[in-house]
Amino acid sequence: MSILEAHDLRRTFTTTTGVLRRNRKQVEAVRGVSFAIEPGELFGLLGPNGAGKTTTIKMLITLLLPTAGSANILGLDVVRDAREVRRHIGYVFGGDRGLYERLSAQDNLRYFAELYAVPARDQRARIGELLELVGLTGREKERVEGFSRGMRQRLHIARGLLHDPALLFLDEPSIGIDPVGARELRATIAGLRSAGKTILLTTHYMFEADELCDRIAVLSQGELVAEGTPAQLKARVTAGSVVEVETFSGVGPADVRGKVDAVGALPGVRSVVVDDRPDGETVVVQVEPGVDVTAAVLGTLSGIRVGRVVTREPTLEDAYVQLVSS
Amino acid sequence: MLTVGGVISFRGLFNWLNPYVYVPTMLVAPIFQILLFVYIGRSAGVGTDAFYLVGNAVQYASIPCLFAMANTIAGERWTQTLGIVLSTPANRVALFVGRSLPVIANGWFVAMFSLFVGGWVLGVDLPVSAWPGIALTIAIASASCTGLGLLQAALALRVRSTAVLSNIVFGVLLVFTGTNVALDSLPEWMATAGRLMPLTHAIEACREVVAGASLSAVAPLLLREGLIGAVFAVLGLAALRWVEAESRRHATLELQ
Ligand SMILES: Nc1ncnc2c1ncn2[C@@H]1O[C@H](COP(=O)(O)OP(=O)(O)OP(=O)(O)O)[C@@H](O)[C@H]1O
Ligand SMILES: [Mg+2]
Repeated sequence: MSILEAHDLRRTFTTTTGVLRRNRKQVEAVRGVSFAIEPGELFGLLGPNGAGKTTTIKMLITLLLPTAGSANILGLDVVRDAREVRRHIGYVFGGDRGLYERLSAQDNLRYFAELYAVPARDQRARIGELLELVGLTGREKERVEGFSRGMRQRLHIARGLLHDPALLFLDEPSIGIDPVGARELRATIAGLRSAGKTILLTTHYMFEADELCDRIAVLSQGELVAEGTPAQLKARVTAGSVVEVETFSGVGPADVRGKVDAVGALPGVRSVVVDDRPDGETVVVQVEPGVDVTAAVLGTLSGIRVGRVVTREPTLEDAYVQLVSS
Repeated sequence: MLTVGGVISFRGLFNWLNPYVYVPTMLVAPIFQILLFVYIGRSAGVGTDAFYLVGNAVQYASIPCLFAMANTIAGERWTQTLGIVLSTPANRVALFVGRSLPVIANGWFVAMFSLFVGGWVLGVDLPVSAWPGIALTIAIASASCTGLGLLQAALALRVRSTAVLSNIVFGVLLVFTGTNVALDSLPEWMATAGRLMPLTHAIEACREVVAGASLSAVAPLLLREGLIGAVFAVLGLAALRWVEAESRRHATLELQ
């Protein structure tokens, strides 16, 4: 049995603007999303800003009612059996908020242990274990207001695990964390996975998703546009290659962005994206199999100073960019 | 969760628990309020010192009760912990009642302290034998005012402002509960409204206890005070429940 099943979830928000003359606007944040998560799986939910990832999670963790569709966790309906569902899920979001700043790490955990009805006699041991797991042992007596972002994030994860939930939701846990901290965080998440936890993770870092996730769903404008293992998603563009051209156009008439459409129109080109670098740009061209477009691309970019040109295998990021920009 | 959770969240969310804020607002300000009204009373030649002392000391319990209750509930919006709290299976009644217990204890302490210090400063004779009755009366006053605090906290959660509401409610209580102007001297409608508010009956009971009345003599007043507080507490819990349900439907709390 799947741990989580979502069937055609939808969520519409009504926003109003203006004080006197109220303008109502409907935003369809999630438009018919279905997926399932199997026990022990680390499931990635990817998608650009505003794609509807957090909204989907909020419906699953019972903070929002779906406008339509349904979902169940361990066979419990997230609307009808909300209270029971809450016993089996943990929720962690990224950023440095969501903790009681004036309290110590230990008291933050104790409070949530109370809310999750962890028996008083088990609390001390459980909190000790979790502090150890997230590497905060020795700092538990300090007030959270003095904690760095990475420490806060690890404390959040400890909090989400207090009641040993069957399913853990991690909504952008690595946001704003330095590379070393993010690496430690990934190790923690990987550790949870090998300990058998089922996890739903959202992130904007593709290498992170590639490294951690067993399966990934890509959400774009409220709809699932792809689902599969990282390898399967890459395979969607693997039948082909990627040409990367370094350019140094600066700003001006020879701006490389003005040529994107022309490059995109070349035969054999699937998509084109321009990434900024400190000293210029990188033009990333997805190419169909068996076609060599390098010369044509360089021809189209004539007038712009060009640096290194490489042809490489696609990454998960390439697959993602292609999925959400098509 | 009721007691341990209540105390932890009180420490975590009540941002006045810092001596630089607590001492002036909770321990010094009520004495000023008492002195102000006692001297107004003296110069106008109405009411005894004890009348103003008791009225203002008990009424001042509304500052900790209203502000602390609003802070410990609506303050979750600033810490952005509300989403996490509401995603737990915790029983909401136990959760919010638990949070109100330290508020009640603190309100009791503030009013007792004001009465004791105010009486000492003004030389008002508060007989030792009256103190057990005073302590009980003030405990009931603090509890019933915290009931109103719960309702107000639910509103504050929704409108995202705590201080404005608490200040207004404090002002209303100051005028309507017979703190400084006996209910008989207020316009009829104000007196009627005052009788439906917390503190009114407790202030009256406390004045009688200080004047030597026995606890059984003021029992009906205390009962009514407790009942009013209970009604407000139930309304408050219902309002909190409604706010949560409303937020699940319309995303009104912008939970993280
Ligand atoms: N409470 C709300 N009221 C109105 N619109 C909302 C609300 N919450 C989300 N939305 C809208 O729903 C859409 C999806 O938002 P959501 O937060 O789910 O995106 P996301 O995929 O989590 O994005 P991000 O990567 O930036 O976190 C957006 O257009 C957003 O503006
Ligand atoms: Mg999000």
